[in-house]
Amino acid sequence: MKWLGYIWIGILLIVTAISIPQCLFTSDGSVMNMMGQQSALDPQGPISQNQADIFYITLWVTLFLFVTVGGTLAFSIWKFRARKDDDPNTLPPQSHGHPLIEVGLVVASAALLVVIAIPTFGGIILKKKVPVEYEADAIEVTVTGYQWWWGFEYPEYGFHTANELVFPAGRAVKLKLRANDVIHSFWLPKLAGKTDLMPGQENTMWIKADEPGYFWGQCAEYCGDSHAYMLFRAKALEEADWEDWLARQQTETVVDGAGYTPVALEEAPDNHDAEMIEHGTELFVENCARCHSVDPRVQTSGPNLAHFGSRSSIAAGWLENDPENLARWIREPHEIKPGNFMWKGFPDPNDSRVIQMEGLDGADLSEGDVEALVAYLYTLQ
Amino acid sequence: MSTAASHEQIADIDAGADSHGIWTRPLRKTGIVGFLTTVDHKKIGIAYAVGALFFLLVGGVEALIIRLQLMTPENDLIDARTYNQLFTMHGTTMVFLAVMPLSAAFFNYIMPLQIGARDVAFPRLNALGLWTFILGGIVINLSWFFQGGAPAIGWFGYAPLTSRQFSPDLGTDFWIIGLQILGIASLVGSFNFITTIVNMRAPGMSMMRLPLFTWMTLITSFLIILAFPAITIALVELMFDRHFGTHFFEVSGGGKPILWQHLFWIFGHPEVYILILPAMGIISEVLPVFSRKPLFGYPLVVFSGAVIGFLGFAVWSHHMFTTGLGIVATSAFAFLTMLISIPTGVKIFNWIGTIWGGRIRFTTPMLFALGFIWMFMMGGFTGIMHSSPPVDAQQQDSYFVIAHFHYVLIGGSIFALICGIYYWFPKVTGRMMNDFFGKILFYTIFIGFNLAFFPMHILGMSGMPRRTHTYKAEMGWSEANLWSTIGALILGFGIATFVIQLIYSCFRGEKTSSDPWDARTLEWETASPPKEYNFAYNPVIHARDQSWENKYGKTGKRMEKIAPGEHGIHMPDQSWWPLVVSIGLFIAGMGVVFHGQPLEALVPFVTSEIDVSLLHLTVPGLVLTFYAIFKWALEGPGGYHLHPSPEELKGTREAQPHEQQGH
Repeated sequence: MKWLGYIWIGILLIVTAISIPQCLFTSDGSVMNMMGQQSALDPQGPISQNQADIFYITLWVTLFLFVTVGGTLAFSIWKFRARKDDDPNTLPPQSHGHPLIEVGLVVASAALLVVIAIPTFGGIILKKKVPVEYEADAIEVTVTGYQWWWGFEYPEYGFHTANELVFPAGRAVKLKLRANDVIHSFWLPKLAGKTDLMPGQENTMWIKADEPGYFWGQCAEYCGDSHAYMLFRAKALEEADWEDWLARQQTETVVDGAGYTPVALEEAPDNHDAEMIEHGTELFVENCARCHSVDPRVQTSGPNLAHFGSRSSIAAGWLENDPENLARWIREPHEIKPGNFMWKGFPDPNDSRVIQMEGLDGADLSEGDVEALVAYLYTLQ
Repeated sequence: MSTAASHEQIADIDAGADSHGIWTRPLRKTGIVGFLTTVDHKKIGIAYAVGALFFLLVGGVEALIIRLQLMTPENDLIDARTYNQLFTMHGTTMVFLAVMPLSAAFFNYIMPLQIGARDVAFPRLNALGLWTFILGGIVINLSWFFQGGAPAIGWFGYAPLTSRQFSPDLGTDFWIIGLQILGIASLVGSFNFITTIVNMRAPGMSMMRLPLFTWMTLITSFLIILAFPAITIALVELMFDRHFGTHFFEVSGGGKPILWQHLFWIFGHPEVYILILPAMGIISEVLPVFSRKPLFGYPLVVFSGAVIGFLGFAVWSHHMFTTGLGIVATSAFAFLTMLISIPTGVKIFNWIGTIWGGRIRFTTPMLFALGFIWMFMMGGFTGIMHSSPPVDAQQQDSYFVIAHFHYVLIGGSIFALICGIYYWFPKVTGRMMNDFFGKILFYTIFIGFNLAFFPMHILGMSGMPRRTHTYKAEMGWSEANLWSTIGALILGFGIATFVIQLIYSCFRGEKTSSDPWDARTLEWETASPPKEYNFAYNPVIHARDQSWENKYGKTGKRMEKIAPGEHGIHMPDQSWWPLVVSIGLFIAGMGVVFHGQPLEALVPFVTSEIDVSLLHLTVPGLVLTFYAIFKWALEGPGGYHLHPSPEELKGTREAQPHEQQGH
């Protein structure tokens, strides 16, 4: 029966041998997925660079320990194994310890820790405080976490957007972090490690992208049913593009006055007629406007949709922003993001069995209605 | 039975009082009554182990479902809510219902034997610990069967996600009450072990002669009694927030969610050491035996255990580096955290020193012990990495952290506990577990574990957050996740087969002598399995590794054996009251869980408009609890005497007048 055991262990070793190259070289060709979309080891800004640098210091220190301590362990396991020709009656020397060795090792480990501690202190301060040289042209963004999406407010310019953080490359962005309901955590691995968004508390951090780029971020603190779907995208733009974007975001999308009427911003694309967009606008007011503001200056309980057409993703970074995905998202948001308020409505905070605002569950939208809504939403460029 | 038992009640008054009670004092040692009323530390230890291994398998199945869901991107094996419930229950089960009680099983069974005691100091309190553990575990798992299902709040239950507003389900209430009841189990157990170790050591067993495992039991018990009050307070506050409209954690009422995190982690971080120190104790027993050398640097190993316990209370905020603490607090906790790696390193150095120059026998327990050192070292290294807040900012709440603490808790605690089971199994049953099969299982578990958890380091650094039930294919996490799942299946297979081998060996294992390993500590001096009274004689200790000295040492270091007096060995009586107290607490707890729920939603065929209130279950449950405590106190310890057979008393001498003991 013993041979069965040896074969089994052999199979396990072969499985392990196959797994190693597959885990080290991922399908996109990068080693250990280091170039992956959310990799912390592909730093694109000063903070993530600093954090990666300190990570590598700790990695080298621990690798050194692994080689020396692990090497000693491996050597002694091999060297002091019981051998067949040992006399069973001779006992190894019953030594109880050696104070010099013991104390020496304590001092040596303390010294190694200093190597990590010094850059650590610098890193703690860097994450909290924007260095003076970046202070002058820094912009400010207030980030608010909601179940399960992100609100971004640009207080200097007075407008809101959602789920896509846009900022100029090469300039620091000071983030004020808040939460509307439960704790979330802002994590944009290629630019900076995470900071939590705490209800009743304002945290701060800053980021800076060295070059223009497109980054993926994700909520890193468990925040309820759809936590896994709470992603966001970040765009670092050239200065000129940034100016364009700013100007566009501040364009009016509603007609002021008693009606608070959303208006379509642009001419309809070829295959949609103005009537359809008109219909979509009405449907929007009827079904969506209680939670979704299309006025960039006003934030209501759902993601602000002013200039929605200019964003690259929908459903908090989960789907790409194209007409097909958008139609599906309006038709069955609960299938894409379970627990989502867009479908079942917004519960009363005091009694979760009572719905405060109706969701799309009872809205009974036809295919044509969905198409019209999509047509309207894409006018909001 | 070679033992003559005489059931003279020590105090006739007690016997008289009992006959007026609901139950007379139970005397049967066997059958269901014997099991439900036992106060024998060995039976209680085995019951702890059976319960813990059952929950280990439950938590393991939960983990495997989690892994199967993550095997491929955008998988829909289970939905988001089920996934969230599974990781909550997996964490809670493994920490509170598997690893802690499995350690407690060893504390119960092994520690009194190691110090030459006849039982723990408070045998009935020990039974209370067992029943509250089992009923607490039942409460938490009952949540699956009620409205809303199991809790979906994470094992750490961060406020305000746990509030009625965001978690209206009953699961969170079951979780709160279950943890409170489990807290009682841990606390009474710990008070008992501390009292036992401080007061009931055999003559000559000075503190610096205590076996390392007993030392770690002592330190762990102190950690438990100092750490659990914090989570008790936190849970009471949460219960009041959910049921009685207080606002400890609710911003709208002036509360602060961060308060929960501080309370939770000032419990939670010592809890990490509560899980690992017993494991270190087991390893420190096993390595010397199979290297045939004493533990290297015994005083330093003991001292570093104590330092770990002490510093363990000063590092809790390293779980909160990303919550926006100030620069000073962040730095202070970072440096303290780095500091704690020194005593941990000391232990590893001393373990290597122990095997250095020895004659290593590669038995199954030794393989697990050596595997422990490797895996714990890996977990320690990643721990050093995120002691640095800038590094932690990227690693916190990512799969890197999952890899880290599974290296510490599986590669550390679980490896050591399995090692302890293989090592002490012959003592508990008088039978061996097959060594070859054990080794095959070791390699299976070792390979499966590393295949499951090493790729998670890579996943974490490439940005995969934890507690997410799905991920997009373009993230590049697919391969590592697939292999991790394969590894988890191998690991699960290994653990399940281990449990099967354990059960098989209880009945079919090869019979063995009382000391099959040529071991070093006192528990190997008595019979396997030990008699009810553990030792037929009172041992007088003259050396640290007493059993070893008895075999190989100089005459002056050998143990003396003192025969019990003519009235024999005093044994404590069994009792119903620990079980009744636990049931009372269980009923009271259920009353709090259902407080404010409409009655008709809970009980079938009942149509009434009333909501469950505290009067329905909680008050009767508490009345029962206090009545049982009162009866328990009146009942008194009771007791009877046993007389060991003459052959068990060979080589003993009569007690000198100054050696007369109270019992």
